[in-house]
Amino acid sequence: MNRTVITLVGKDHTGIIAAVCNYFAENDINILDISQTTVQEFINMMMIVDLSKYRKSFKELSEDLDKVGEKVGVSIKAQHEDIFDMMHRI
Amino acid sequence: MLEINEVFETNAMIASENLDVRTITMGINLLDCIDSDLDKLCENIYNKITTRAKDLVRTGDEIGLEFGIPVINKRVSVTPIALIGAAACRTEDDFVRIAETLEKAACKIGVNFIGGYSALVQKGMSSADRLLINSIPKALKATDHICSSVSLGSTKTGIDMDAVRLMGTIVKKTAMETKDQDSLGCAKLVVFCNPTDDNPFMAGAFHGVTEGDAVINVGVSGPGVVKTAISKVKGENFEVLCETIKKTAFKVTRVGQLVAKEASKRLDVPFGIIDLSLAPTPAVGDSIAEIIQAMGMERVGAPGTTAALAILNDQVKKGGIMASSYVGGLSGAFIPVSEDSAMAEAAEMGALTLEKLEAMTCVCSVGLDMIAIPGDTPDTTISGIIADEMAIGMINQKTTAVRVIPVIGKKAGEHAEFGGLLGSAPIMPVNTFGCADFVDRGGRIPAPIHSFKN
Repeated sequence: MNRTVITLVGKDHTGIIAAVCNYFAENDINILDISQTTVQEFINMMMIVDLSKYRKSFKELSEDLDKVGEKVGVSIKAQHEDIFDMMHRI
Repeated sequence: MLEINEVFETNAMIASENLDVRTITMGINLLDCIDSDLDKLCENIYNKITTRAKDLVRTGDEIGLEFGIPVINKRVSVTPIALIGAAACRTEDDFVRIAETLEKAACKIGVNFIGGYSALVQKGMSSADRLLINSIPKALKATDHICSSVSLGSTKTGIDMDAVRLMGTIVKKTAMETKDQDSLGCAKLVVFCNPTDDNPFMAGAFHGVTEGDAVINVGVSGPGVVKTAISKVKGENFEVLCETIKKTAFKVTRVGQLVAKEASKRLDVPFGIIDLSLAPTPAVGDSIAEIIQAMGMERVGAPGTTAALAILNDQVKKGGIMASSYVGGLSGAFIPVSEDSAMAEAAEMGALTLEKLEAMTCVCSVGLDMIAIPGDTPDTTISGIIADEMAIGMINQKTTAVRVIPVIGKKAGEHAEFGGLLGSAPIMPVNTFGCADFVDRGGRIPAPIHSFKN
């Protein structure tokens, strides 16, 4: 299991999550958890995904997500889960 | 399972509060490079650094990308060059050749600094130490990426006043050599009392002789994160204030611990220590002075500042110690003037004086740092400033340092511009009463009574 946290921030509209999920489906990335909050018209979404079957590098993932984000007008970031675990769990 | 608010809290720290890993510094032992032939020595040094640290920059960048946290600096520290060059160097220029070799190696591997053009003379100077010290002005002029440090005293040994006197002159000469750039050379030169062997921060990083072959030390940073956290507890009592700083320092240090372990694994170099120091940059919101001001000071330098800094330094340590098993280096709060825009602003308006900064160094992690002083300050006065700071370190059993920049051709009230992370600063007035008869006495100040613990 190679757990990575995807965060998405931006102005909410239809099709945002679909665009991200499509990319994941095409690239063998399994979604383990999704949570989302919408404050006024802004969406904050977090996903935990498994990259163990993903064939490309982390750098490519990051660049691809930039492109997907650009298309739907939001910012999408990928980060290893460890940084959050280290900071918030003893 | 992670909560969404935790994830966004971390990312807000990175995106809007300037949380970053300030430096991954690889310490490299050069003792096995020693040769009595200078050409061979330089070749050995170049080969060892460029082999050992060849992947340092790339690895730092990869880790930064994968964890989503900027790793600002990738650096190398080496065994003090006065030891490495002792067998081969007969002249000052011989030592400058080693500096140029280090410069070449720094450019090859892409690090932004190599530290360790250093001499440890807390009890006395060998002829090689003296040659290296005398070569510093030329070496710092001839190179861009080399940092120099000289240890002048310790609680165990006392203070080598001959070296203190000499360094007053060397600081001035270095300023002269780089006078076209507002005496920038002095920004790469620091003197220490009780230096640490594993400090990852420049200009004072060197790889101590008791260290292993190579080691990864990491300096975290996060003044902006601490300031934001403190701003949220305005008006609350000291218990709440301390608790807030401690919790924040814990979170910041854990990130450093993660990055350090990862870098150590990927580079196959043992992990040494995390340095907890809060290191400011000239960017707005990345400032120690702003933390002090958020604690309730109208401006940094106002009465109460030393107490506030003492609280900050202590709580940062308490939070950080819990977050990492190996804490070392300087670990506290840095109070440079030019590198911290709110600090420079306070100096400019007269809220912060050199004397108040000296008092603050009694409770912070380092010392008089990045302070621009008038270019006509006499060598002996600079030696006096150094002696004061060394005495504070020696008596209080802590690391202290001096990195002052006599800006040649400029007077108190004018401005010095160093550029980039080094920032800019007003030139602060220095007490004009002399101390030449004191610093010219020569010899050593004996170790203090509390050093006799055997």
